[in-house]
Amino acid sequence: MKVVACLKAAPEAEDIGTRPDRTLDLDKAAWKIGTYDLNTIEAARVLADETGGVAVGLSVGGPALASSKLRKDALSRGLDEFVVVSDEALADLDTFQTACVLRDALAGIDGVDLVLVGAGSSDVYAQQVGNELGALLGVATLNGVNKVTPAGDHLVVERPLEDAVQVIEVGLPAVLSLTSGINTPRIPGMRDVLAAGKRPTTEVSGLSAPAPSTDRTSLLAVEQVERAHRVVDGDTADVVAQLVDYLNSVGGAR
Amino acid sequence: MSLGNAWVVLPNPAAAAGLARGARGLADEVNAVVVGADAALPGADLTVAVPAPPVGALAEGYAASIAELLQARGAQIVLLGADVSSRLLAGLVAARLGTSALTVQGVAVEGDGLVVSRTAYAGLATTTERPAGSPAVLVVAPGVLPAQEEAGAGRVEHVDMAPAPEPLRVVEVRPKAGEPVNLAAATRVVGVGRGFADEADLRLARELAAALGAELACSRPLAEGLGWLPTERYVGVSGATIRPDLYLAVGVSGQVQHMVGVNQAKVIVAINKDKNAPVFGQADLGVVGDLYDVLPALTNALAR
Ligand SMILES: Cc1cc2nc3c(=O)[nH]c(=O)nc-3n(C[C@H](O)[C@H](O)[C@H](O)COP(=O)(O)OP(=O)(O)OC[C@H]3O[C@@H](n4cnc5c(N)ncnc54)[C@H](O)[C@@H]3O)c2cc1C
Ligand SMILES: Nc1ncnc2c1ncn2[C@@H]1O[C@H](COP(=O)(O)O)[C@@H](O)[C@H]1O
Repeated sequence: MKVVACLKAAPEAEDIGTRPDRTLDLDKAAWKIGTYDLNTIEAARVLADETGGVAVGLSVGGPALASSKLRKDALSRGLDEFVVVSDEALADLDTFQTACVLRDALAGIDGVDLVLVGAGSSDVYAQQVGNELGALLGVATLNGVNKVTPAGDHLVVERPLEDAVQVIEVGLPAVLSLTSGINTPRIPGMRDVLAAGKRPTTEVSGLSAPAPSTDRTSLLAVEQVERAHRVVDGDTADVVAQLVDYLNSVGGAR
Repeated sequence: MSLGNAWVVLPNPAAAAGLARGARGLADEVNAVVVGADAALPGADLTVAVPAPPVGALAEGYAASIAELLQARGAQIVLLGADVSSRLLAGLVAARLGTSALTVQGVAVEGDGLVVSRTAYAGLATTTERPAGSPAVLVVAPGVLPAQEEAGAGRVEHVDMAPAPEPLRVVEVRPKAGEPVNLAAATRVVGVGRGFADEADLRLARELAAALGAELACSRPLAEGLGWLPTERYVGVSGATIRPDLYLAVGVSGQVQHMVGVNQAKVIVAINKDKNAPVFGQADLGVVGDLYDVLPALTNALAR
């Protein structure tokens, strides 16, 4: 089975600064494959191994995708190859734009059986690219998938809803959005890192996105509540006494 | 100000039933498409009742037909809930209408159009945006749209639709055991994180919560990865947003994705054994200590 794992790179949240005027400072933030897309790669690798197939990574984005470190990192986590669509005009797309470019990029990859996307991208967390992509491709589409088992020419998946778990047979091709609990991504070892250097990356150019779905009028850091920032340390009995006093003083204790 | 119409779309009658009441604040006319409806949706003027999907099919399979209906009737705003099925239906319908499904934190009518706010960069920031086309497809969590009183005209129209012949078949539905959780209503919340080494150790947090009269919440990994607590209990950018009087974080590192769910709490107290844990930067009182020592002693002291 040929499995495509869709990956989004985003700036690392911990390293994003906020300025006094509530604008964001992204200068120090390294771009990384989203945490939940590591689950996507892992799921693609496992399915490819179970079916004697291949796992292909696919990412759409701006110039940040040119980073060889980022590419190697993605490849070292279990991809056989990586398809990168990187263009200044493709940075910061909304979900429908992204889905359109992914559809066009997928048209250039032969014999795709299954497209996997993550629980949500690490910056916008819209949880929509997979759903919209599935609709554009006109194939079987599910979100919230927590387990995927190959069964001959189809898959059996588990999809937890709020009050029940659905077990669903899915014919191929399909687009599945996964949960972040579906697996534990492997930590690449020295061998994986070395092997990653030899695996192919394919650049795709000439793709374009439709107009955005919204006009953005502002982007501002969330306003922070002032905090007292008192810290107590030391002997347990002592800190607990201070903690109880504090809880009493703020009316937090019963 | 309000727009001409809003359409609420529900994959089943139980999904986001309050949406119609909220939609009244945005539009003069509130309509609904409800899969499996046998009555008018409270708050809607018109309920288009679509038959429940045949056994083995999903309500989401109606997406193409629903998109066609919305287009034919000139929908201006399309609203769906934030549950798993509604989210999928939202994306399937939006893409067919040539637009993004927007998960919004806030939505209002300004001038002749909509203004929505959304989170960005893992919850660090908020955007304000104007949807460019019509209709706008919005995913709305409970609480985002204040409910209005008006009952709606309550008309019902039955429309027959056949789900797309998709290669999908539901072969089993297992009920999920759940406990009712109402984090939003809690004035005190104890939030637990990966500092707990074992599921059984959560007993320490439950005892503390009982002594404080607090609800138990958690970080995402405890609910999604480890499955120690139900997903309704995790707070953060992808979980619940709460504003209790007291949030007591235990063994939580304090990453932004978690803290945006609680940063409007009146008082934040953190217990963490790492004095450099980011949670201390966002707490009123930080206790540097091992939760296995501090929690039993604290519960004891509070019980006295
Ligand atoms: C797109 C996206 C969305 C996300 N959404 C959410 C969300 O909504 N909510 C959420 O919570 N997370 C979310 N996350 C995950 C988030 O980034 C963090 O990974 C998570 O919050 C960390 O959980 P934690 O604090 O329990 O674990 P850790 O970060 O592992 O922290 C554990 C802490 O426990 C302390 N500790 C260990 N042992 C002890 C002890 N014996 N006594 C006291 N302290 C101890 C450690 O010092 C450490 O600080 C999201 C991530 C992404 C990428
Ligand atoms: N630019 C992109 N390139 C490749 N895959 C993407 C991109 N954006 C989103 N995805 C995929 O879609 C998932 C959901 O993204 P989102 O809808 O933004 O939360 C991500 O986890 C990725 O698997």
